[in-house]
Amino acid sequence: MKPVFKGLAWGAIGAALGVGLLVLLRLFFGLPGWKLEPAVVMAYLFGLSGWLLGVGVWDYWARGWLGLPNRPYTTTGWRRYFDFDTDHKVIGIQYGVLLVALFLIAGLLAMFMRYELMQPGRDLLNSAQYNRLMSLHGTTMIFVAVATIMGAFGNYLVPIMVGADDMAYPRLNALSFWFVPPVALLLVGAALAGGFDTGWTGYPPLAAVTKLGALFYNLAFLTIGFSSILGAINIITTVITMRAPGLSWGRLPVFVWSIIGTAILSLLFTQFIGLAMLMIILDRVAGFGFFDPARGGNPVLYQHVFWFYSHPAVYVMILPGFGIALEVISHFARKPLFAYRWAVAGMMGVVVLSAVVWAHHMFVAGMSEKLLIPFMVTTELISVPTGLVFLSALGTIWRGKLNLKTPMLFALAVIFNFLIGGITGVFLSDVPVDMHLQDTYFVVAHFHYTIVGGGIFGLFAGIYYWFPKITGRMYNERLGKIHFWWMFIAFNLTFLPMFWLGIHGMNRRIADYVPELGGLNRWVSLAAFVLGASFILFVYNMVRSWVRGEKAAANPWGARTLEWLIPSPPPLHNFPSVPEVVDDPYGYGVPGTVHARLSPSPSPASD
Amino acid sequence: MRRDIVVVTLLWALFTLVGEGIAFTVDFLPVQGAEEAAIIDEAFRLLLVLSIPVAALVLAFLLYSLFRFRASDGELQDGPPVRNHPAVARLWVLGSLVLAVYIVFNPGLKGIRELEANRTADLVIQIEGVQWHWNVRYPQYDLSYEWALQIAMPVDTRVKFEITSQDVIHSVWIPAFRTKMDAVPGKVTTLYVTPTQVGTYEADPNFRVQCAELCGTGHPLMRMTVRVLEPEAFQEWLEAAKVQAAMAGGGMSGMSGMGEEMGGMGEGSTEMESDAGH
Repeated sequence: MKPVFKGLAWGAIGAALGVGLLVLLRLFFGLPGWKLEPAVVMAYLFGLSGWLLGVGVWDYWARGWLGLPNRPYTTTGWRRYFDFDTDHKVIGIQYGVLLVALFLIAGLLAMFMRYELMQPGRDLLNSAQYNRLMSLHGTTMIFVAVATIMGAFGNYLVPIMVGADDMAYPRLNALSFWFVPPVALLLVGAALAGGFDTGWTGYPPLAAVTKLGALFYNLAFLTIGFSSILGAINIITTVITMRAPGLSWGRLPVFVWSIIGTAILSLLFTQFIGLAMLMIILDRVAGFGFFDPARGGNPVLYQHVFWFYSHPAVYVMILPGFGIALEVISHFARKPLFAYRWAVAGMMGVVVLSAVVWAHHMFVAGMSEKLLIPFMVTTELISVPTGLVFLSALGTIWRGKLNLKTPMLFALAVIFNFLIGGITGVFLSDVPVDMHLQDTYFVVAHFHYTIVGGGIFGLFAGIYYWFPKITGRMYNERLGKIHFWWMFIAFNLTFLPMFWLGIHGMNRRIADYVPELGGLNRWVSLAAFVLGASFILFVYNMVRSWVRGEKAAANPWGARTLEWLIPSPPPLHNFPSVPEVVDDPYGYGVPGTVHARLSPSPSPASD
Repeated sequence: MRRDIVVVTLLWALFTLVGEGIAFTVDFLPVQGAEEAAIIDEAFRLLLVLSIPVAALVLAFLLYSLFRFRASDGELQDGPPVRNHPAVARLWVLGSLVLAVYIVFNPGLKGIRELEANRTADLVIQIEGVQWHWNVRYPQYDLSYEWALQIAMPVDTRVKFEITSQDVIHSVWIPAFRTKMDAVPGKVTTLYVTPTQVGTYEADPNFRVQCAELCGTGHPLMRMTVRVLEPEAFQEWLEAAKVQAAMAGGGMSGMSGMGEEMGGMGEGSTEMESDAGH
């Protein structure tokens, strides 16, 4: 715990320094010394640097530079997770636990929102409070969806699945994680500073004139952006340079491919959200007026820059979900992944096309009519590469020997949910239909079906699938299955009626609606409470199993990828020696095939 | 093997039939109050009809496999080592490509062309969004009022909305017309509609202007009644509106037929004021 407290203390010192510097500068230029919003920005930037110093991110370089001896990493047991640690498995768990906690908190916020929406008129929250809760829910969930699978499973599993002992840049990896706690603090800080009411999209001019909390939102997005870019560099480098001998690109597990696609998107596009946030911050604290028409700015410009990142970002959220689903489906159908190359090509096709669809969020934003058609065309074409994931999934389960354990149920649910999410996306990509449905509950239902139904169900498939590997213990299968059916049914009962609500005149982001929509909203709220309750069972199962679950074997599923060849949980440097990959990981049905061999075993080739 | 394919095909046909049956019997759409609504509803229905066989195909394979290919508990057995079926994959890509290209043309391009076909209007209504109310002007009739709670237009008349905003982005959405356009500060956006059916908010809540872009605390209550009237009734409404606008000095908060139904605008605004305090 010590590094965390040290980080907080250094962060506080940094913040004080930042504010002091700002006051001095302002006085030097003859301005009044104190101004709140610039002070917040300076305090945060210096505080963040202080936090990273205090946690120990720069120790290795700084101590070497100053000629001091380097501190060995001696922390053991649970304290490792609160310490600066460069082991990719520790970092994966740090990401996973922190982000699942954020997921549960943001989910709880949704319960309050649904309570307010149970009937028309004001109940629990007034409109301002509702907007703040909704914005915090959305923003936190977006961070969770962007970072959880890549941060947690990407970090933990990609090095093992490519046969490496760690990531290519272990310290950079730790740095990318230690950016995340400040993001969580900023979200709490935003709530304490009066919240922000701009939704997760933060459109100006509203975002540039609204409460102080919106500034915290901008800083949070900027910070998690850094983390994403650094994580992406690391993943791409690791996969390119550290694959075990014999692990050609054509033998990579499909999950690794999906993480590569995700990392490419994060690396290329995250800078644009950083830019959008920076421009808003400068509008607020330095009076630039990029988005203020009174000062020659253009508010629609923000939407272009924002969606130029944020549309690829929805594939950052969904591609790893596809990857986990396909991986799990092959191992639990006990059949080779059907049309492996087509599925990989499909995911890469999504990566490419996602760069040219952003303005479909803006069909009614008042942009040039000439832009409507090209963006409708690209958006509708993206259904073709996405369809290849379905081809692969259905082809794999066809005539397989389906082992319907909890991870498999979640993986199949990804296919079912994304079917609905994808098809309703086609409705929204059609310009005429979108004129009606834009900014309604149809959109709310659509993106929950894709991001929760695809991405988060994929996350849960991954949690159950790799739980024995990561913790060394088995979860309770019965509770897992109950959790699945509970969550799956409640999820559909919650979000399916929202399509109807949207068509019938319920716009999004409102605390109150026309009385005629009361009945169906009550139903949605009740279903949402049932959905929320399902996570209590999940947390109980996870915590109890982690503490006193039955010890897990090295390979409880009889799966073939590299992580199942080593003990559960994996030892410090993963493999006793560099593994030798001899075939792809999906050789089911052919006796005698293996994906890889762990030397030193007497080499069969020599005798 | 052959039997499996026959059963799945039958299942696909069955799901498609049931789905299309529902699509053709259940009315998924609210009141259709304008020519634009007819175009957009046709697009929606076509997409629904086309998407049902796609969904049915995936569901048929998923559900059938779930029951038919389920392994008995506790033993791990491998399935056949089938890695690809290039003909199936090609057919899949071709099918989805043809479908995607088709919907680009119909309903996509067709709908856009129909919506953009007629750029003339007999009546111009200017709407300006302000946090958190609407200001309305009828430039042809020299009528303007602030804090508007209603707008009116004659039926079967081409109307052009000129939309802008004073502060942040709002959006003018009239569900009965199925159209929506953002109100952006610093520019004027336009929306053309031809109302085809007489109607008011009291008769159907889809006859309303609803702000559809999050604009702050008062966002959910930024609504106005839309009155689509017979031409004579519209003239009477204009006269009454001018008198009231003059009496209220430009304001029209006292205009009849609103109040309660709009969800208690009064309560809403006090709530906003008290909220702006902190």
